[in-house]
Amino acid sequence: MPKSPAQLAEELSELPPSSAISLRIMGESYFDAIRGVVDIFAPKKDIDTIYITSAIPSQSIIDVLKILEIDMKHIYFVDCVSHSMMTSGTRKHENVFYVESPTMLENIMLKVEYLMRKTSDRTTVVLLDSINALGIHNDNKILSEFLHIFINNLRAKDAYVIILSMDEFSTEEVLNMMNLVCDTSIQMEDSET
Amino acid sequence: MSSDTSINQSDARDERDRCSTGIDGLDNILNGGLPRGNTVLFTGSCGTGKTTLSLEFLVHGALAGENSLFISVTEATDKLLTNVIPYDFFDESMIKKGKLILVDMPIVYERLGLTDIEFSLEDVDTLVKAIGNLVDELSIKRLVIDSITSVCYRLKTEEKIREFILRIGKALSDRGCTSILISEISPNAERYSLYGVEEAIADGIVLMGNLERRGDLLRTLQVVKMRGTSHSRAKYVLDLTPAGVLLVPLLKGGGG
Repeated sequence: MPKSPAQLAEELSELPPSSAISLRIMGESYFDAIRGVVDIFAPKKDIDTIYITSAIPSQSIIDVLKILEIDMKHIYFVDCVSHSMMTSGTRKHENVFYVESPTMLENIMLKVEYLMRKTSDRTTVVLLDSINALGIHNDNKILSEFLHIFINNLRAKDAYVIILSMDEFSTEEVLNMMNLVCDTSIQMEDSET
Repeated sequence: MSSDTSINQSDARDERDRCSTGIDGLDNILNGGLPRGNTVLFTGSCGTGKTTLSLEFLVHGALAGENSLFISVTEATDKLLTNVIPYDFFDESMIKKGKLILVDMPIVYERLGLTDIEFSLEDVDTLVKAIGNLVDELSIKRLVIDSITSVCYRLKTEEKIREFILRIGKALSDRGCTSILISEISPNAERYSLYGVEEAIADGIVLMGNLERRGDLLRTLQVVKMRGTSHSRAKYVLDLTPAGVLLVPLLKGGGG
């Protein structure tokens, strides 16, 4: 059970490409988990990150990553929330690709597919943040179908897939769904415990 | 026994020479591409991506060394090119080298002296011959007419429309030319073409649409019919990107 970003990255590094990982966190360890993936794991493996944000706007993530002085050259965002909040048009970032609504699950797949074509010569880690946020807008049936197709598609392309879930918001149904589609589960321990 | 035979027949059909569209998702749906020489109707309402998809089919053809011809009936070709998505793989030299040729149909009409609002059967004959000659002279392997509906506006009667589609389909197929005829229909149309004749005669029908789901508008594509190959008949969602048309399956969410 990793406690720090470095420990999480180490655990992820032991997994082969095409792995689908359920990353379970508590609210307090949110940024540790993100840091472990985008700042330590991805650079260590020299791979690109596709960060699907359905919880908070990409701009907020970018602002935090800037404060943490994380190099964003190889981080691409698929932002599913800014458009529906009508904030996508204000500050454009060249590595951000918008999906109109978190209910347009097919368009999330299409944007990821596009980004993977753009960076076809490099391995990718796709981080989905988070299954709980997508669950607010989609029912479990369509969400399960989405994860099943999405993960299998990414596996075929040798990508790592990390699905983030918040323990305090995860229902039994969500946990079952994650167990079904992921082959590894990592529980991030709160660093203060 | 009979099922084995039917499987073998299906395999044999799948061995027919293919014209890869260059669009991975569509080639997968079609088990490798359009059967070479087929005349296929791409049909849908406005904004569904018919022109963009058909143009990409030609661009990939030109890149593969096949001379490709786009006949534009409704929109001037120079305007069309400025509005087209800036494809990562688009190379302007293919136009200069004559691999990708864009022709304005009104200019063809003018040169053929087809000035009447309504074409006669003789005019249909003249037009089909002219297109056939263009295909011969330019060694065209892929052709798009955008749109066949606009040509049919000037044919008026079902008899002339049928005659035109039959003759153009035969002329192109005899020349080994794989063709896309674009058909414009209204969003709630109950058939695949405005006149109903086009869909019966074409070798294949690809239906493109806008699907509204809980307030979201998704672009969709479905291969309804394709002679000469087995194919998926499921509905897919598409996106028009600088990397070309991308397709993923439409999610059903258990609702069918």
